[in-house]
Amino acid sequence: MIFLMDLQMMLLDVIYFILRNSVRIVMRPRTKPIDGELVLITGAGGGLGRLFAQEFTKHGAEVVLWDVNGSSNEQTAKLVREMGGKAHTYTVDVTSREDVYRNADLVRKDLGRDVTILVNNAGVVAGKRMLDCPDELMERTMKVNCHALFWTVKAFLPQMKAQSHGHIVTIASVLGLFSTACVEDYCASKFAAVGFHESLAHELLAEEVEGVRTTLVCPYIVDTGMFEGCKIREEVELLLPPLEPQYCVEQAMNAILIDQPLVCIPRLTYLPVLFRALLPWESNVVAYRFMGSDKCMYPFIDTMSKQSSNGSIKVA
Amino acid sequence: MAQEFAALGTVLVLWDINQEGMKETAQLAKQSGASRVHYYLCDCSDKNEVYRVADQVKREVGDVSILVNNAGIVTGKKFMDAPDSLIEKTMEVNTMAHFWTYKAFLPAMIANNHGHLVSIASSAGLIGVNGLADYCASKFGAVGFAESVGLELLATGKDGIKTTIVCPYFINTGMFDGCQTKWPTLLPILNPDYVAKKIIHGVLTDQVYLLLPKSIYLIAALKNVLQWKVTSLLGSYLGLSVEADCHTNLSLHRKLH
Repeated sequence: MIFLMDLQMMLLDVIYFILRNSVRIVMRPRTKPIDGELVLITGAGGGLGRLFAQEFTKHGAEVVLWDVNGSSNEQTAKLVREMGGKAHTYTVDVTSREDVYRNADLVRKDLGRDVTILVNNAGVVAGKRMLDCPDELMERTMKVNCHALFWTVKAFLPQMKAQSHGHIVTIASVLGLFSTACVEDYCASKFAAVGFHESLAHELLAEEVEGVRTTLVCPYIVDTGMFEGCKIREEVELLLPPLEPQYCVEQAMNAILIDQPLVCIPRLTYLPVLFRALLPWESNVVAYRFMGSDKCMYPFIDTMSKQSSNGSIKVA
Repeated sequence: MAQEFAALGTVLVLWDINQEGMKETAQLAKQSGASRVHYYLCDCSDKNEVYRVADQVKREVGDVSILVNNAGIVTGKKFMDAPDSLIEKTMEVNTMAHFWTYKAFLPAMIANNHGHLVSIASSAGLIGVNGLADYCASKFGAVGFAESVGLELLATGKDGIKTTIVCPYFINTGMFDGCQTKWPTLLPILNPDYVAKKIIHGVLTDQVYLLLPKSIYLIAALKNVLQWKVTSLLGSYLGLSVEADCHTNLSLHRKLH
């Protein structure tokens, strides 16, 4: 009896939310103001991180920049200051939880206030097939893309919860929602990031911490050089070219400012996610083959191996 | 699972950190009809130990053709209260151990274009569950990794090597003791014998994704199709959450160290 009542209530709620969210898609909700918020961005020296710093500054926020590479971090800070914004830089290795905790305390001490928006953006890829990949590189991918999220969330979430105000943004990837060949370590780490973010979001909802929002950003391949060489079938590439970094960041910012829980960039990538969930494995494999996504990473792997044989591989 | 495989006349190699439990399993497996049973003490979170014992297996027994990555742990605490070392251990056993075992045993399978990779993940590797943030991270990672390797094998034309990814709901092996299920007919706490039989069947029929019970297929599909707010509603109505007072195999794990 209770089951039927619960079922009825749930179905009504489900229909209500589907309708409400569909309306929201048509009539774009107002973006929230973030003047004066303190935004922490990991991997701020990289392509996307830098653009995020600039976008957040445009909206009036103060930025704290973390990166393992001090000079590119400073470069980002310079750009932010030129725009008239405030930037604070810290050289942090997010694979080390002691480093994360220590610098988190330092941020609180130096700035006298808590971080209100956490953007977990730092990401790496080993760039080798699993069987050719040294274990250390696989571990590094996991530690930067997945473990770092644990430590930063542990460092900054308690204060957000205490003030019932905050926003956790995880920059994962579409390769955290469906996978492809040759980048096993990256897929494992991005799937883990997605699973962690989702579980955390449910936990916050269950604890009814209304003021702390979450956004999971899953972009397709962004043209920052991280996946240089990756190429799907030409005809399909017309529909789905590598993303312009600026476009990717603008879409992500939009989602963050309307408290959207999940955003896939571009919207076309919602389709493979749907198909993975609904269709049998074999159908998906056939579709991948057609789109050229099963071999899309081969040129990327070749590029990476050429780079390493030239001795220019960067091990952060 | 060892007993089920044994009944099919296979040669079994067992790995565990618990010597006593393993000996018992080996005996039962022999009784069920295994031609040979070998067991080795191995902490699969330590990659050097994995490689060392793998070499031993290759020397003493031969090449492995069916690899079942089954070892799994859970901290049993809310993420924010869990000690960092336990979180790291969860990731090491549930996800990274798969990297090392694949690296150890996959090359031989590739050379023979014959083999089967079985990854025992969890429904929490397809759906985020409240109260299991680090466990979800590790199981999502295991799923993503197994899928990626499966795709790579297909892309390189190694169709003799099959993949099976198993995602069960809670099983009453003591790992999630004390966890309640809200709707026992829809989402029962599974019986280990039933799960083992289904897994063997999945392996014998080359099934790629095996979700248990069958209602998880619908729930996982819905989760990807519906919007976020609706999904979390669905989750709370179905009771998809783990309360902090669940006792888990954490105490067992402590005893062994």
